[in-house]
This record gives sequence, structure tokens and C-alpha cells, in this order.
Amino acid sequence: MQWNVAERVGRVRWIFLPLGLCALVAVGAHASADVVGDRVLWAVDRVDAFFDWIWSAWSFTAPLVDLVGLTQRTWFARAVALAWELAADALIAIPMLGYGERDPAAEWKMARDLLRRTRSPLRMVRPVATLMVALAGAFAVSRMVQGSMQLSLHVVWLAAIARAALLVTLLVVLVPRAAFRSLEHARTARHLVPAAVVLVPLILAAVLSLR
Amino acid sequence: MNRRTPVVELVLCAICLWAAWYRTPAGALVRSVGAWMLGTRTTARPLLAYFGAGTLVPPRPPPILTGPIPAAQALAYGAAAILDGRPAEVAPRLREAAGQLGSDDAALVAVFCGEDAARYAVDHARSSALDDLARALPPRSEQCIARAAQAAMLGGAYALGWPLPESVRITSPFGVREHPMLGGMRMHTGVDLGTAVGTPVRAVGAGVVRRASSDGINGRILILDHGRGVVTTYCHNDALLVRDGQRVERGQMIARSGSTGRTTGPHLHYQIDLAGEPVDPLRFRAQHPKTAAGPTD
Repeated sequence: MQWNVAERVGRVRWIFLPLGLCALVAVGAHASADVVGDRVLWAVDRVDAFFDWIWSAWSFTAPLVDLVGLTQRTWFARAVALAWELAADALIAIPMLGYGERDPAAEWKMARDLLRRTRSPLRMVRPVATLMVALAGAFAVSRMVQGSMQLSLHVVWLAAIARAALLVTLLVVLVPRAAFRSLEHARTARHLVPAAVVLVPLILAAVLSLR
Repeated sequence: MNRRTPVVELVLCAICLWAAWYRTPAGALVRSVGAWMLGTRTTARPLLAYFGAGTLVPPRPPPILTGPIPAAQALAYGAAAILDGRPAEVAPRLREAAGQLGSDDAALVAVFCGEDAARYAVDHARSSALDDLARALPPRSEQCIARAAQAAMLGGAYALGWPLPESVRITSPFGVREHPMLGGMRMHTGVDLGTAVGTPVRAVGAGVVRRASSDGINGRILILDHGRGVVTTYCHNDALLVRDGQRVERGQMIARSGSTGRTTGPHLHYQIDLAGEPVDPLRFRAQHPKTAAGPTD
């Protein structure tokens, strides 16, 4: 019996490829959300100050000022950032689990067809967000691998080459697949406006996190 | 997009799963749920600790000071409090590392995570700020980064001054107390300093105004962000002299104290937060102002 690793691994691709795509997008979403954490805190502070001013105008609403008091403010801001990230995960990472393998030529053709038929810009938000977040994820993952290799092997050039090779491979192998899957999912996706509210800031954050 | 590279795809997916497993709140959520289902202990941190590159973990209260701290030694005191060591032993290590790596934050990474990690972080981070250095480090550095950040916070708090003249008395200390207006036992998250309306309030350290607003409970309130997770709050002012986003220097007059908001009389509520958790401001001072009965909130 011939022992063919590639063939055996190929048989379980339907398990690991969706998981890998989901993980890549989740890493990108976190890298993006984390980089704007300070801005989220700033925004929460502004909103909290505004509501405190409103609540304290009447004695019966004054206790609401303490609802998000000085101490809870930072916790609340981080909780907002976490909720934002998890919402983004639900919108663009979880659908990756539905990735179905097909012929690469058919995948490109399908992408072209979908792009041609998609008229609403709102429908394009998820694929664009997935593409940008997957890019951010590819950069973040390759950075982590470089750091791990350099700090364990102490060979600078090897870690740098590993990072570059991993980054290029991720950009070629996984990032386009994530974008295709998102394009496919966006065709039937609902709640377009709430999704845009969550994902448009994430696109900007993903751009900021790229390096 | 080649279909004939399943091994490469497997390796890539495994690396992405490893990164998501250790570096994202979603991964922590999966780990926690898995551990709960299997009845084992999870190694995942609390979900909110994954933000700020893991630098936002509040430190435990530092030991009580036995004498004043020279400004240049504040960071060494912070690091020593986390290491359970002596500031005199930590200070030369920090000084040497800062000289080699170019910043105090990098020196802290060197002391807590090792010199190699610090050098790597300095070479690959966007800036020399601790959270950026932490982002450059690989997964599994979280614990040492959290300890370095706690040392930075304590060091930052030790370096702070005092917002009013030392002669101003404390009318209500930090801690659980019976609320003077609402009744019942409640946590008082700062110290109240009884002082006349119009007394100049000074910034206890350099920082950025994160909030300058007004409401019926805190009165005219000012929040300063000093960086490294150290934030100070000044409530019940009569007038605010700085605006949102403005940079202030240590000792700069930022407000005039007053009796606005929910108070029993003129005083300043002064509060220090480390990573969002209020701490007793007197923990960071060798000489405590005297206490006296007086106005509070």
C-alpha cells in the first residue's frame, strides 16, 4: 500500500481549511480591534460624559450617572471593544466554517460572477472587511512566528526568512480563500446595515494594524 | 490557490489556529468553554485582559512605604514591588537596561521577560511604549508582559505628585465607608481633600486630559491619562482650566476646587486608577496629609 501524506492530508482538508480560515480572520479581527483600543476608550468617555450630563439634569435620573461610574468606565470601554470584536467574529469569521472546497478556476469564475452581479455597496462590506482583516491576520500571524522562532532559536536571519515565507504563503493560499468565501456568504447574508456599522470601523482599524 | 498543496495548507491552518488559540479573546472563550466541559482548569486569561496587548492587568496593592521616594527611583520601586525585591537591587539593572535599549519601558521588558525578548521587541515594535513592545512579542509572553506593565503602573503612580498643598487635610479616606448622603456602606474610590472654593488644583504628573465635563454627581470633573495605565481623577471643581485632549505638565494648574455635584461642602475628590481599578492614593506617599472631619461626597 502506497503511503501518500499529501493524499491523506487532502482527505481531511474539509476539516482543517475552514478552521484555519476562521482562525486567520479571528486573529486579524483581534489585531485590528486591539490597535484602536485607546480610541474606543476615548469614544466611550465622550458618550459617558454626554449621558452623565443628561441624566444629572433631573433628580429622578441622577442615579443613572453612577450606572457607568468612574471605576466602571475603563471596564465598560474594554467590554465595548470585546463586544465589537466578537460581533465581527460572528459576522466574518464564523461564516468561514462554511467554506467548501472547489476547483480554483471555478472559484475565480464564481468570484468574478458575484462581483459583477453585486449592485449594493452594503453587500460588499463583508467581503472587503474579510479581505482587510485576513490581511491584518496574515501580518499578525507571521509576526508571531518570527518572534517565537527568534526567541527560541536565536537565529535572526532564519526568523526573518520564516516570517517572509509565511506571510507570502498566507497571502497566496488563505487570504484569497477567505475573501471568496465571504463573497459567497455575502450573497445571502442579512442584516446588512448593522453589519456595516460593525465592520466599516473594523476595516479602518485593520488598515491601521497593517505592517 | 493550488489544490495540490494540502500539507502546506495544513501547516498554515495549524499556525493560524495556534495564534488564535493564544492571542485572541475568541480563542480564550473556546479554551474556557472546553475546560469547563472537561472539568479542567483553563490557562486562558479573562477576556478583557486580551486588550492593550495584555498590559492592562491591575497590580496588587504595593507594600506600605517607609520613606519618601526620589523621583528617579519611582520605577525601581514599582519593579521591586512586583518582584518582591529591594529597589536598591533593581535600580542598577533597570538603569543599565534603559541605557542599552533606549527607554524605561524596554528596560522593564528586559527585567521581566529577559534581555533577548526586550531587544527583539525594541527592534520590531512601532514605538518604545510598553503596549507596542508587548505586541511585538510572541504568544506565551503574556505573564511577563503583565508583570512588566504592573511594575510600570506602580512606578508611574509612585512618581505622581499631590494635587493640593500638603497642608490640606483628608476629610474622607479611600475604602468602604457609610455614604454621607445616600446612607449605607459604599466604596469610596478616592480621597476627599477639604479645601476652600477656588484653591488651585495642580496636575500630579504630565499627561493628557481624557475628560473635562460636568454632571450632577461628580460636578466639574477632570480625568488625566498619564500613560502606562495610570489615570487620575479630580471631581467637584468650581472651574476647569484645561480642555479635552490637551497635554498638561506636572504641577500645571488644571482646575479650581469647588463644591459642584453631590457634596456636603467644598472639597476635591482625588482618585488614582491603575488599569481601570481605583487604588488608595496614600499607598504611593510616605507622608500622609492629616485627616479631619469636613466636607465629603
